[in-house]
Amino acid sequence: MRPTSNVNAMQNVVERVLNLLIYLLESPHPVTSNDVRHTVHGYADQSDEAFHRMFERDKSVLRRLGVPLKMEALDAWEIDEGYTVDPDEYAIPDPGLNQEERLALSVAARMVRLGGTEAGVGAIIKLGGMERGDGVEPLGADLGEGAEVLGELFGAISDRRKVEFSYRGHPRPVEPYGIAHRRGHWYLVGNTPDGERIYRVDRIEGLAVGEKAGVFEKPKGFDVKNAVDNQPWETGSDPVVGTEVKFDAEVAWWAARSLGLAEPKSELTTTVDVANRDAFVGWVLSFGTSAEVLGPPEMREAIATRVGEALVRLP
Amino acid sequence: MTSTRTVTRLSRILALIPYVLDRQAVDVNEIIDRFGYTKVQLTRDLNTIFVCGLPGYGPGDLMEAYMDEDEVIIDAADFFTKAPRLTPVEALGLLAAGMTVIGSGEGSPALESAVRKLSKVVMPDADTSLAVDVLDQSQNVGVLRDAASEGRVVHMVYRSVGKEETTEREVEPWSVFATLGRWYVLGHCRLVDDRRTFRVDRIKELELLEETFERPESVPQPGVGYSPSKDDVTCVLDLAPVARWVLEYYPVEVIRESSQSTRIRFHSPDAEVPARLLLRLGTDARLVEGSEVAVRTHEIGRSLLSKYL
Repeated sequence: MRPTSNVNAMQNVVERVLNLLIYLLESPHPVTSNDVRHTVHGYADQSDEAFHRMFERDKSVLRRLGVPLKMEALDAWEIDEGYTVDPDEYAIPDPGLNQEERLALSVAARMVRLGGTEAGVGAIIKLGGMERGDGVEPLGADLGEGAEVLGELFGAISDRRKVEFSYRGHPRPVEPYGIAHRRGHWYLVGNTPDGERIYRVDRIEGLAVGEKAGVFEKPKGFDVKNAVDNQPWETGSDPVVGTEVKFDAEVAWWAARSLGLAEPKSELTTTVDVANRDAFVGWVLSFGTSAEVLGPPEMREAIATRVGEALVRLP
Repeated sequence: MTSTRTVTRLSRILALIPYVLDRQAVDVNEIIDRFGYTKVQLTRDLNTIFVCGLPGYGPGDLMEAYMDEDEVIIDAADFFTKAPRLTPVEALGLLAAGMTVIGSGEGSPALESAVRKLSKVVMPDADTSLAVDVLDQSQNVGVLRDAASEGRVVHMVYRSVGKEETTEREVEPWSVFATLGRWYVLGHCRLVDDRRTFRVDRIKELELLEETFERPESVPQPGVGYSPSKDDVTCVLDLAPVARWVLEYYPVEVIRESSQSTRIRFHSPDAEVPARLLLRLGTDARLVEGSEVAVRTHEIGRSLLSKYL
């Protein structure tokens, strides 16, 4: 296709969708696809098949724009259904931001990337456009890929809709409670037939969101911040063992930061609650000879065993 | 499937109309700035608005949209007094952006109240349903941000990741960014007289100097990667499926993979990092090539066993 026809095709879609949206917002009653076809500019002179294809595409554009397009019965017998957009539901609610708050959000929106684009700019535009600050903004953060899946989960969480997806090859029905970005990954926390579970969002495949909203209650006091652990060794099925570990002065300040402790002047000896022994052994060994587990004996043994296993496997 | 560009363009039109309607006439430059338009794009969109309207599509049915001298004027568009509501992706994007900046310690009271107000309209329980942690436990991000925006040199004591050693250096910071949950600073390192990326949590001590520097016209896109050099130590490892996280944490080259095992080539400035990795992986990895790494792994391993046994 030549570039000019691409541009024309886009121009036609933009005009047609604007006209369609105006028609839907202004019609006092739900309208059928036939009404649309014979009333809205841009649909005439199409074959049945071409019209249906165009109309399906345009409806999906409306949904992607955030337009609440609904089907409603046309008459009391509910035999035929028509399309409608309620102007009150269409309108963006006003969060009542003042100038300073708008500027702060605009700056943040441009700093953070999600799914390869500036995360909040689309939202800022709808809220009345960006406010410009002065000077260079050197700060930025990338929250990874998967914006579409995250958006769908976010919508399902707000509306209390059930979701279903495949995780490591198994189907999972989940009542989604929250999502969290931690240690560089997004996690979903929700209720399953087996109790509360955590899923890595990038491993979710074939996400389907339930039709009905408001089908479950989030437990009182649920907070996704507490549901997703900070450290890999906090998540596990091992009995929790308070483990004493010592870090040399050279690395103690860095270990303290990783553990969220105050930075020590020289070496650091501290006790860490370990629920996942494998993960903790791995972390301690990443310090080489600069860290030593002091006790209990079974944790020292676990370290020695791991090192022994690695050594026998060397060529 | 209609392109994202079409949707983005429509979304901007649907935000532009209510903004101008509300004010009747708005300065062209303000619109260009506020909505990220070029003048050509704005003219095109105004011309588009001008040919759309109510069925009938006669002169009284179409919207009015045009530029008059330096002003944008839109009228006869009463059905578009408000922009469409946010999509979940948009709402999540903006909330997450605000939470990220707050979490980095670089928020402000204005940003915090903005996030609260926004949550109220898009997800009332967002504070317990959405969490974004790109924490800066070092509290260095703020100093580096100031240094980069003011063009001031910093002095740092740095514990390198590839080579377990502590060095002192002066750096001209260009940008501060977070990716995969960690903060980095990109800039010109005076010690090596070249561009370098540093992990912010590995900066032990940081001092903002009075000396200023000239920020380059175009700063390279921040990114985390390892550029191999000829002095590198190279080894080849086979990883069990449970050790595949290594691929996300280290810049490695995948040689081949199957459901049972992944073979990777690992480059690093010295043998310390791959040796420690082999020890922590235990039975989940096997060294295939790399005699220097084997020697270092033996040394560290024996020294550890002498402490523990």
